[in-house]
Amino acid sequence: MPEPLLALEAVTLLAPEGRAVFRDLDWTLARGARFHAKGGAGGGCTALLRLCAGIAEPHAGRVVLDGAPLEPGVLHPFLRRGLLGWVPSDGGLAVNLTLLDNVALPLRFAQNLGRGDAERSALAWLEQAGLGPQAHQRPSVPGGRESWVASLARAAAKGSRLWLVDRPAGGLDAASIRAAERILGQAAQDPEVTFLLVGGGWMSALGRELTIGDGRVFS
Amino acid sequence: MPERLACSLGAKVRRAFGQLGSVSWLLGKCLQACLRLSREQRRVVWEVTRIQIRFTALDALPLCVLTALLLGGITLLQVFGQLSGFGVERHISQILAQLVIRELGPLMVGILVISRSGTAMATEMASRKLSGELAALYASGVDPIPYLLVPRLLGGVMSVFSLVIVFDTVALLGGFLVAWLRLPVSFGFFLGALGEAIGRQELTATFFKCLVFGAAIPLVCTSFGLRVKHSTTEIPQAVTKASVVSLAVLLMAGAVLSVLIYA
Repeated sequence: MPEPLLALEAVTLLAPEGRAVFRDLDWTLARGARFHAKGGAGGGCTALLRLCAGIAEPHAGRVVLDGAPLEPGVLHPFLRRGLLGWVPSDGGLAVNLTLLDNVALPLRFAQNLGRGDAERSALAWLEQAGLGPQAHQRPSVPGGRESWVASLARAAAKGSRLWLVDRPAGGLDAASIRAAERILGQAAQDPEVTFLLVGGGWMSALGRELTIGDGRVFS
Repeated sequence: MPERLACSLGAKVRRAFGQLGSVSWLLGKCLQACLRLSREQRRVVWEVTRIQIRFTALDALPLCVLTALLLGGITLLQVFGQLSGFGVERHISQILAQLVIRELGPLMVGILVISRSGTAMATEMASRKLSGELAALYASGVDPIPYLLVPRLLGGVMSVFSLVIVFDTVALLGGFLVAWLRLPVSFGFFLGALGEAIGRQELTATFFKCLVFGAAIPLVCTSFGLRVKHSTTEIPQAVTKASVVSLAVLLMAGAVLSVLIYA
């Protein structure tokens, strides 16, 4: 059996108020798997994404990504190479950088591309996302949904192998949905690329359904 | 009662050591990150460092010049007022130089940097942490230590060095202006006396104070900013603690260095 890309081993995660979001959870994500997760508010969908990205630290158990455990305070080699496409609900862009710089930064920092090459690649992906004219604006100017789509462009530009995508805060308009589908569809052409998306609606077409609730994950 | 007092003192000492430990840990991580930077990463770090120097040094120049000019003039007025009856007018530039270069220059610049940039760094780090920006950087493969902390450390050291040079120069000029209004001293005489007053000890003290203050302020302030966990109400608390602790560190480090160098 091939090694999974991601494995949660006996993971317990507690909410700040002490409630168990997950307790002794064992779950794996195979390479090339595509899921869209659904669950009620506070059910643990975002928490699962955060665990998988190494942003939330489990209270017990461990998360193994690409054969190596995620450890607090240490940038995992998979992340260091820029192979994780992290798209939180607010986009997670740096507010003091333009959209172009936000997309180009991981290319320069994680993948050692020169500034010119990184910016060319970033601009190409922003144009694909329909954000070419806003490339030189800071995220607060175009707004929240554009930041989220720009975050997808950032993940695509890096050639991410694992996409962890949370539902956009406030929803998307038709143009943003088309842009997001275009970017995710292009990434999905590579069978090795793995998706874990949180959200329903148009995201349902991109993978099998995964239900999260009562501290468990049902595929 | 004595047990409770001992416990409370012990907790404070433990907390102080814990804070010192976390600042030392950050310093270690920054130095380690500096050694591992690739060529392109070095370029990115330098771009961010330049922005930091602009905010910390260049934008602070008007305030620094005004403070130095007034402080130099007032110090000389006070010294002159106290000592004019003792025939020490000839030594006034030496006294001014030693006061300004040995103690006042680095200390005042440190206070300016804490009040302008240290508080800004603590606020920025806390806001970035709470908004999830730091987590997003980390998950995107951009290590926040070399990208955010190393430029603040380098920028802090370079800015404090530059500001101390400007501060000392302007404060001495301010002192000369006051002296020139009240005493028959020429600029050449003043410069000559300054040259005699500034020795290896003064330069060594200035160098080490700039290095320690310039590194300690960003490290302490970012460390407190990064400690926020859940709510934006923690930000003002973190900023207050950052400025108070960095001021205490500044005073203690300044005193220790002065004792080590001049005692």
